[in-house]
Amino acid sequence: MQIYLDNSATTKPRDEAIATMLQVMSLQYGNPSSLHSWGQEAAMILETARLQVANLINGVDSESIIFTSGGTEADNLAIMGIAQKYSHPKHLIISSVEHSAIAEPAKSLEKLGWEITRLPVNTKGRVNPLDLKAAIQPNTVLISIIYGQSEIGTLQPIETLARIAQSHNILFHTDAVQAAGRIPLDVQQLGVDLLSLSSHKIYGVQGAGALYIRPGVEILPLFGGGGQERKIRSGTQAVPTIAAFGIAAELAAKEISQETPRLMGLRDRLFDLLADCPYLIPTGDRLYRLPHHVSFILSNDFALKAQEVTGKTIVRQLNLAGIGISAGSACHSGKLNPSPILLAMDYDKNAAKRGIRLTLGKDTTTADIDWTAMVIKQVLTRLIPSCCHYADVK
Amino acid sequence: MFQRPIYLDCHATTPMDKRVLSAMLPYFTEYFGNPSSLHQYGWEAETAVQQGREIIANAINATPEEIVFTSGATEANNLAIKGVAEAYFSQGKHIITVATEHRAVLDPCEYLQTLGFEITYLPVNSEGLIDLEKLETAIRPDTILVSVMAANNEIGVLQPLKEIGEICHQHQVLFHTDAAQAIAKIPLDVQEMSLDLMSLTAHKVYGPKGIGALYVRRRNPRVKLAPQLHGGGQEKNRRSGTLYTPQIVGFAKAVEIGINNMAKENQYILQLREKLWSILQQLEGISLNGHPTKRLSGNLNVSVEGIDGAALLLGLKSIVAVSSGSACSSTKIAPSHVLTALGRAEKLAYASLRFGIGRFNTVAEIETVGQAVLSTVKSFRQKAVLG
Ligand SMILES: Cc1ncc(COP(=O)(O)O)c(C=O)c1O
Ligand SMILES: Cc1ncc(COP(=O)(O)O)c(C=O)c1O
Repeated sequence: MQIYLDNSATTKPRDEAIATMLQVMSLQYGNPSSLHSWGQEAAMILETARLQVANLINGVDSESIIFTSGGTEADNLAIMGIAQKYSHPKHLIISSVEHSAIAEPAKSLEKLGWEITRLPVNTKGRVNPLDLKAAIQPNTVLISIIYGQSEIGTLQPIETLARIAQSHNILFHTDAVQAAGRIPLDVQQLGVDLLSLSSHKIYGVQGAGALYIRPGVEILPLFGGGGQERKIRSGTQAVPTIAAFGIAAELAAKEISQETPRLMGLRDRLFDLLADCPYLIPTGDRLYRLPHHVSFILSNDFALKAQEVTGKTIVRQLNLAGIGISAGSACHSGKLNPSPILLAMDYDKNAAKRGIRLTLGKDTTTADIDWTAMVIKQVLTRLIPSCCHYADVK
Repeated sequence: MFQRPIYLDCHATTPMDKRVLSAMLPYFTEYFGNPSSLHQYGWEAETAVQQGREIIANAINATPEEIVFTSGATEANNLAIKGVAEAYFSQGKHIITVATEHRAVLDPCEYLQTLGFEITYLPVNSEGLIDLEKLETAIRPDTILVSVMAANNEIGVLQPLKEIGEICHQHQVLFHTDAAQAIAKIPLDVQEMSLDLMSLTAHKVYGPKGIGALYVRRRNPRVKLAPQLHGGGQEKNRRSGTLYTPQIVGFAKAVEIGINNMAKENQYILQLREKLWSILQQLEGISLNGHPTKRLSGNLNVSVEGIDGAALLLGLKSIVAVSSGSACSSTKIAPSHVLTALGRAEKLAYASLRFGIGRFNTVAEIETVGQAVLSTVKSFRQKAVLG
């Protein structure tokens, strides 16, 4: 049996997305900037996708959607595109639990003399709005807070935070790459100015993302060139990939009212099934949490008894059993550094290497969850006999 | 469904080769993992990415570690130019490029000018070629980069990369080429051409849109590059962002097919171009833009005297998909900067047509298009005479 529980790293493209992409690839292959009918067809496909993506977040004006190559580029565009407007370094506020696609651009701004405030989080990974208020300075020009954290699943009080930004006339960006398609998002209600999305996290295909830019917000491009995407993002658009993104966004919007509670049910079931295992400590917020996200660290006790165990040990063991999960977020998992996210939540350096993450998807079933819980217990018990009780599933 | 016009706009983008599509498909449906993940799904994807990297590296005589995947040539050009500028500005702030470059090179250069860099734009002769002596005299002690495109996207002209590379190498200046139009269409060899950086894209060689690469030399010299997209640290920190496995597989397949059939395919396409040109030459006041032989086999760019270019395109619209300039700038009604650089009068420049002939075009299509252009131009001229 193969079970894929790494939907925060990437999702399996849905059939409808693949079908749409294939059709565009084989028939509507024009360059959307060309003036002939091949070009116009491609441009129309692009505009349909723009509308579909805008609808997912209640973007109203589809012009507010700028297509990018993915979430990383959308995040970079948000941060650098705003920062470049200023000829002198200013002040940027982010959280201490941002994805690297925000944390790294912030670091590079820091090298250019920008002042960066990284808001602290509580032990569950949440930002306190009062801390945001206190951090605002006269030279603050942008606030960027992740919506749903990819490693620990915690959701931030984006609406409250965005209101604070708004009342100070400061632009507010949120990285909603993990939240989109999993919880309803409404940029009007949230009051955010910029929001990042990525196609391959919502069952579209890799290679497309978007930045929502509230009409009226000025932003400078990351790349210069042909001036596509209203001069904000040059480069021939990946029309088939974007078409797949569009259909994935449309279907996500349609299914969300059923899918969110279903995922939450499965998520809580997995937490419950593993609750009797004292060596697995849930991380992140149990209440304000991405519906598909389950995460733990292996406890200190466990580490004492089973030497040199890290999150990766468990990932490998589960992989042998045919279950794909991750230790931390995929982009970091190449290196075995302590997770900066767990460090920010006050875990010590060793504990911060012992995180594991299981992220469910639209194909995940109750049977998958039950089986996975059993296998995890088996694996842990193999590392430490009598670690936890499990019933053998035959 | 309406009868679709014949597609002769292969410099804007190309139809995807079915073989490329088949190669990509399993990576959407089965091997969909994130190549950074540490489980079976991740490894499958990573293996595919690695294979793709090798194929592309081999195609240009580079090593796999020298390939940085990007979202396309626009990003690759920006990464090359801004990335080098940011890494080398302490050694100098002078860059040399060419007046006929693609906007994806000119724009980052103009951006650098606002930061205090000096850019020399080399002129081209009436056939679109740069003068090597002018290049050599333009190089100064503070020159850090020379960027000259391999094949022009409007007139298809091929610059002498090997000679340019030698000059750059002698003067120890980094050499970048935008090979978006050239990859898998002409031989490219980073050693022989002394290339330090090269931008590639898949969608001009029958591959998918939204994937490209930058070749970055790692030895003699080891090129330093400041990343332009920051994040998960993929591509050895040179370009962050989840790798697009299926697109990379498709890119590699497209390059492989192109390389394997290059000579034969060029011969076929050249024959189509010559056919088209021989038909069009029946028109009075028609002239070829760019060098007659040092050009991409699929490129034919002509100017027609006394004809309104926009009207001509409109008249041909139902029969053939061509363009008057490059796709990216064709939404602007301005004379092409490439044709202007050739010294073409502005009026002529307006009435130009760019044909991009590709792998899937047939002799019959070329004849149809040729005749259609003849009759459309003739009827325009008659109307003009009749007032
Ligand atoms: C929260 C978050 N932001 C940004 C990204 C980057 O998105 P992409 O993989 O599309 O570049 C990811 C995914 O890795 C993510 O989880
Ligand atoms: C010479 C040249 N460079 C760069 C580009 C941009 O490539 P991409 O569309 O992959 O960003 C193009 C195509 O438009 C081109 O013709």
